Order: sequence, then structure tokens, then C-alpha cells
Amino acid sequence: MSSFILRRRASSSGSWQLLCPNPEAKSGFFPNLLFSTLSESQPGNLNQPLNPQNVLHPIGKHRILDSGFSSFSPNTSKTPSRSLQNLTFSSSIFVSGSKPLALSSGNAASGKNISGCGVLGLPTVKSLYSGCGRFGLVCLFGTQAAVEPSTCDGLTVDRIIASEWPILDEDESDWKSHAAAIAQSIHLIKKRLQWKKLLVRLDMLSAEVNKPDLWNDPVHAGKISREHGSLLGKMKEVQAFERELLEHVDMVKLAREENDAELESESMNALLNMRRTSKEKEIEALLAGEQDPCSCYIEVQAGAGGTESNDWAAMVMQMYKMWAQRRGYNMTVVDEMPGEIAGIKRATIKVDGEYAFGYAKAEVGVHRLVRISPFDSNKRRHTSFAAVAVTPILGDASEHVQINESDLRIERFRSGGAGGQHANTTDSAVRIVHVPTGITATCQNERSQHQNKASAMAVIQSRVDQLEMAHQNKMNAQYSQSLTDITWGSQIRSYVLQPYRMVKDLRTNYEVSDPDSVLEGDLDGFILSYLSACLDKDEDDN
Amino acid sequence: MKLSFSPRLSPFLKPSLFTNVHRSVCSASSIPPPPTTPKPQTPLFLRPPTHSTTTSDLQIWHDWANTLASSVGSTFVDLDNGPDSTLLRRELKWLMEDAIEEPKNIDNNDGSVRLRVEIEELYMLWKQRVEERRPFQYVVGCEHWRDLVLCVEEGVLIPRPETELIVDLVGDVVLGNEGLREGLWADLGTGSGAIGIGIARVLGSGGRVIATDLSPTAIGVAAFNVQRYGLQDVVELRQGSWFEPLKDVEGKLSGFVSNPPYIPSDNIAGLQAEVGRHEPRVALDGGANGMDDLLHLCKGAAVMLKPGGFFAFEFPSIPRFATTLESQNEVLVKAKTLVFPNCDYKTNDEEQCKYLVEYMENDAGGSFCNLNMVPDFAGINRFVTGFRR
Repeated sequence: MSSFILRRRASSSGSWQLLCPNPEAKSGFFPNLLFSTLSESQPGNLNQPLNPQNVLHPIGKHRILDSGFSSFSPNTSKTPSRSLQNLTFSSSIFVSGSKPLALSSGNAASGKNISGCGVLGLPTVKSLYSGCGRFGLVCLFGTQAAVEPSTCDGLTVDRIIASEWPILDEDESDWKSHAAAIAQSIHLIKKRLQWKKLLVRLDMLSAEVNKPDLWNDPVHAGKISREHGSLLGKMKEVQAFERELLEHVDMVKLAREENDAELESESMNALLNMRRTSKEKEIEALLAGEQDPCSCYIEVQAGAGGTESNDWAAMVMQMYKMWAQRRGYNMTVVDEMPGEIAGIKRATIKVDGEYAFGYAKAEVGVHRLVRISPFDSNKRRHTSFAAVAVTPILGDASEHVQINESDLRIERFRSGGAGGQHANTTDSAVRIVHVPTGITATCQNERSQHQNKASAMAVIQSRVDQLEMAHQNKMNAQYSQSLTDITWGSQIRSYVLQPYRMVKDLRTNYEVSDPDSVLEGDLDGFILSYLSACLDKDEDDN
Repeated sequence: MKLSFSPRLSPFLKPSLFTNVHRSVCSASSIPPPPTTPKPQTPLFLRPPTHSTTTSDLQIWHDWANTLASSVGSTFVDLDNGPDSTLLRRELKWLMEDAIEEPKNIDNNDGSVRLRVEIEELYMLWKQRVEERRPFQYVVGCEHWRDLVLCVEEGVLIPRPETELIVDLVGDVVLGNEGLREGLWADLGTGSGAIGIGIARVLGSGGRVIATDLSPTAIGVAAFNVQRYGLQDVVELRQGSWFEPLKDVEGKLSGFVSNPPYIPSDNIAGLQAEVGRHEPRVALDGGANGMDDLLHLCKGAAVMLKPGGFFAFEFPSIPRFATTLESQNEVLVKAKTLVFPNCDYKTNDEEQCKYLVEYMENDAGGSFCNLNMVPDFAGINRFVTGFRR
């Protein structure tokens, strides 16, 4: 997985291009379709012949804005139509959440889950509850269908899914099975990329990019064109993958008509390869957020309850250290405030590596431990809590919020005595308070005050950036809580060591019966199930 | 380190050490330090990893060292504001970092670890740290100061975190002033060379620093550090007491910084063991009221600086926890009234620095302007800065 991400980062055009070396050439099969997909991203092209997509844009936009608004305010999510959808989809969400392997559509679609997953992508079924007043939804699906790539005989990705072809093992040489598995992956990837929102946003950005006065504000222009390029790249990748699938389906059919065994096996192999890479793309699509590729800080704070609670916080911190190590991330301790007898009151680590934030953001919230406390001489069962916050470290300095020196209060963390020549201490901990926001950071693990200050300052910068991003983009609000904002009610996961042994995520119901492995950093199952459930739910809400 | 020849300086009063080598400011690179300068010890982290041990032996040492650190508890804190167990355990981690070749890969080297000292010496070093209260920086032979790693050894004051700020003060001043940025600066009583190296790195390409110290040990250590940061062409070291080695640059300095000894003589005995027992008294003892050297520097600043030149001194703040506070203030007031009989002094620990500022404002012939007191991160007034009119 990580090597795959690296590969993707290494190629500016993205791995889709790598896997499909020349999609543009192949798309010669569908000249009209190619034009219509380009038109989505180039609305400013006035020479464009009248296109149904353009006509319907206002409706599409309205729909997205509507859904965008509702996702900004999670409290409104209990509208009747929404809860109806949630009910309908809950089974499939939880199925995919309860097994790590279910994340790949091939498995999710096995057995009785086939219909559950298929339903998600079916325009016909969706339209069943368009009666709830979601007119725009049907319209957009209609338009989508009109411009979607298709095979010579009109087969589209959606229709492949609707056909409910059984998905067999990879080694079964059945093109329908491969095609169905890939189609489901494409559907899942689109869902995770928030496809319809992405298209609308891309339209807005394209319009912006084509404005003649764009570069009057170079900073803004840089930001816009960066985002435009990134979204356009994502869209083209998915579309190329779609076209590739349909081409191969065409080729298989052609080969059968012509009795060309060589061509048939060639296309079959191509489909099999696509099926394998689609799994990687599914995971990659989970991490499509703007800050996901960033490094991050992970901060753990012990709840009330003294030593037992401090020990739990230390266990949680250790879990993340080992998780970071497993993923090959570079980990450094920034700040550590030990408990009086054992454990920690609070600690911050910096996790350096690609997609560290993308994964770690799934851990934000309160983690609960139930066990017989080794610190209780009466051997009673205790429940303790530890809060986890995650902050992305923005790589691009131009995106940093400017912090005024005068807004900072810098103090020695443990000052006592006269200092200077009177004292010789290796303790040069520094605390920085950003007065306007009240954000505080401490660093004591560096060997000089200067470095402690620089480390603490970097934490302050990231927190202030995060706060600013939260203001700008409420979509990420769920990740941008600072520790003080995390109420002890927002429990995300429960770790029970006694009387039974189990770790269960309260958001996804994903559970593991071996707490030791989890505490040793085997967290990816929890993280991926949460990320997929989270994005899948987002899309259903739309 | 004092201008006056007091008996406590006798070890440094060998005649050979007082022959000042007058060299041109920028030619230090070609000339090695004077032959009288002792060769500094190599800090632990720079020694070759020629020793080896097994991970299990290292683990045994670490467990032993950890237990020793934990046994301290808050004893030293209660005794003389020394280190507690938490701090000692952090130092133990740093000792491992410095002593082991690849501290991060201990588990991946099939049971053997390459060390920069023999494991027996590690036992000895940690014993010295905890039982003899030998400063951690002397144990590992270096101090991390700002973004520098400076070699230190017995006989040289370990640069303090508070003093880092002097470099920031200089950095701020030269930012908008090309004359100062490209000028000649002096760091008097440089010790390990910390301030001199620090300001050399914030000056412009034309900026030069002369760093002086009375102690040949300090000059040797400072030369090593200057060399390590490749600043031989920027920082020139001169051995001698305060202004003596600077006669050729009188009135030519753009800037002048110093962290002179400022602890009242009577307080030395009650200092934290790491300081009082191990650090050089000559770098700490500022005379009866701690102000001897500071006053000497203040007087000299007017002569040494050119008009518009900047100065920054670190100065004392009487320890609030000291039991002898009352008597100290009495001494101080007595000293002040002796020097300036017409002034009315209060017995307030803040007064010591105000007194210095007042002196520079009123009694130094109006030579200075924009005098300012700058607090450290603990909120204690720590520096006095100003400009030559």
C-alpha cells in the first residue's frame, strides 16, 4: 500500500496513467464520449456544441449546494428523507465495517451482500425514494447516464453493476465476474471521492481558472489552479479507468464473435489486472482529502482518574508509536508530561510520512479502557479514558496562517529560582501560548531551549492552520477539534481487557477480539473501516 | 576574568598567558590557537564507535542507570534545586543517543551494539552524574545551545538556555541596520564560544567577531567550536582579561556582548551542586555584590563602541529562594551607596538591574541611549541593552 502511494506521488499524472499507458489513444473507440467528458471540465469553451450536461448544470449545482449545506451542520441530519436513506443503507455500511477485508468490493459483494452493495449504485433503485422530494438526484443521474462511457452495445459501468453478475474468485476466468468486480470498485471509488461534489467543484474551479483577471492575485490563483489540477487529475483517472474497463469488455465480446482465442485471453488478463489494481485504488480514494497526504501531530491526553488513567494514556500513545513504526513513518516525541506514579498526563508525537494525517485522523476522539487495574490493590475493575487529537502539518508554507510575534506568550515551562549562572539544568522546556486563540503548545524533549521553542512553535502553527481550515472548510470540522473541544462524550472506541477481551469501534461496530494486537499498533483495520464508512455515509447523505 | 588582580585568579596569572597576541581581525584562520592552549577533549558524540557490547549488557546498564535515576526522586530538588528523576531519565536517554552509534537501530543489529565508549565507562559516567552531581554537559562533553552543539569541558562555563536570547537580541538589531550587520563585534568572556558563534551566524558576510577569554582552557574549547562551525574566518579568539586584548579596536566596535560572572561571592557556596562544585568559579563569581565585572564592562562600553554601536549584557537577578536574600540586599545597598552616595536605593531584588540601567543613563556621562531591560522566558529581567550615542 505505501509503495503504491509512493508510486502514485512519484508520477505527476497519477498511477492510473501508469496502469493504462495510453488511455487517450484507446479512447478513440468513443470519440463522442471523450468530448463530452472534457466538456465537463471546460465549460468556458464556447465552441462547445449544445450539450445536455451544460443545460442541466444549474440543477446539479443546486443539489450539491443543498447537500453541502446539510453536511456542514451535522445536527440537521435527522430530516425524514435522510434518516430513511440511512436506514436503507445501514446494513451495507455495517457489513463493510465489520470485516477488514470487506473493504474491497470483491469481498463485500460476495454472498448475500451482493444486492446490498448493488443497490447503492443503482439509479433505478435510487429513484425509488426520489419521491421524497429529491428531484435533482434523479435528474443528475439521468444526465450522468447520458454522457457516461459505454460499450458498443450500450453497456455502462452502472449497468454492469445493475446486472448483478455474480462475482467469482479472481482465478475463475469469467469476464463478467471481473467486470462486475471492477465496476463495483469504480462505484466505490467515485463514492469515496464524492464524485458529484467533485464535478461541481471542478466546474466552479474551471470557471475561476478561465477568468482573465485570475492572476491579479497570484496567491489565490496558485491555490485555485493547484486545486483545479488536482481535481481534474482525479476525475480523468477515474474516467480513464472506466473507459479501460468498457474497452476490454468490448474486446472480449469482439474476440468471442471472431473466435479469436488469443485476443480473448489477452483481454481477460487485462481485466484481471484491472481487478487487482482496483483494490489499491479503493484504498487510495479513501485518502483523497486535501490534507490527507500531510504529516501530522498526534496528541494524547489522560482523562480524570489518576494513575490508572495516566497508564491508559501511555498505552494509547505507545499504540500510535508502534502503529507509526509499522507503517514506516518517522516518529518523534515532541512533548511528554509524565504522570506522578506511572504513565503520562499528556504527550504529543510528530508522525512524519505520506498520508500520516489521512490515516491518523480516524483516531480522533475518546478511547475507553475497561480492565482490572494493576494499580488497585483490591483488584477492582476500572474504566479509564484517553482523548486523542490529530493535527495535520501543512507542507506548503504559503498556506500557513501568518502568526504575529506579538500574539505569542513564550514562557519557560518550569521556571523556578533565579536561572542564568545560578542554575545548571538540561531542562529547557518552553510553553507557547497563542493569545488570540488560546492554543498552547509545550515542548521539552529537545536538548536546547531554542529547539524546544521551534518545536512548540511548529505545533502552534499547525494548530492555528487547522483552526483556520476549519473556519474555511467546515467539512473537515470533525477532524479539527482540539483536545479541549473533544468532550468526554465523543467516545470512538472501547478496549475491554476484563472480563472478556475485545476492542470495538463505536462508530463502525468494527471489532477485534485480540486487544494485544491492537495495542501493539495493528490499527489499520479500524482506520480503513472508519474512513470508508465515513465517506460512504457522506455520499449517502447526499 | 577580572580587570583587578585578585588572589582567586592566581592560576591564570602566569606571565606567558598575558602576552596578548595582536592579530588582525580576519586572519585567525591561518594561525592555530596559541601553543599554551590545551587541546580540548573530544565530546562523546564525536568519538569513533570503536567499542562494542551486546544489547543485553547495554540493557543491564540501562536498567541500572534508570534505577539510580529513579532513586533520586526529589532529593536534589529539595536540597539545592537540582535535577529530579524525570530530568535525569531524560538525560539518560540523551546519554544513550550520544554514546551509541545507531541509537534507533539497536534491535536490528543481531544482538551487538557499537559504542563510542566502553560500557564500563558508561557505568562510571552515570555514577559521576548522579552521585557526584557532575553536570550532564560535562559527562557527554557537549551542550545543545540554540541550533548548535557546543563542545564543553571542566573549566569552561556551560552556556545557559537563558543566554540564547542574546543572539536573538543581536539578530533583531542587525536586521534593519546594515552598519551593525557588517561591522565588528566583540564577545567578552566567551567561554565555550557560544555567544560569539551565535552572533557570527546572524551577522552579514562582512561581519566579524572577536571573542575573548581569560582562561586558556576556554580559548581552546572555543577554538574547537569555532572550527566545527567553519567560522575561523569570522570569529577571532583572543586571550586576555576583558578589554586588554581589544586595545587596537577601541572605538571601532559595532557591537559588544557579554555574559560576565555575576554571582555574589558569598552565594557561590550555596549554589546548586552541579554549578558550585563543578563549574569554574572564575566564570561565576562577580565579586562581593556580583556587580564588579558588569560595572567594569559598562564603563568600558563607552570607550569601545563607536557611535550607534549596540551592547547587550546578561546580568544578575538575585535568587528569590536564597536564604541570604536579606544580607545580599544589604551588601548591595552598601555597595551602591558607596559608588553613588546621592542615590536612594531600595532593598528590592529588581533594583539591581535598575541600578545598572540608571548608572548607564545618568552616570556614564550620557554616553548611551535607548537603554532597555529584557526579560528571559521565565519573566525575570535578564539582559540590559542599549546604544552608544
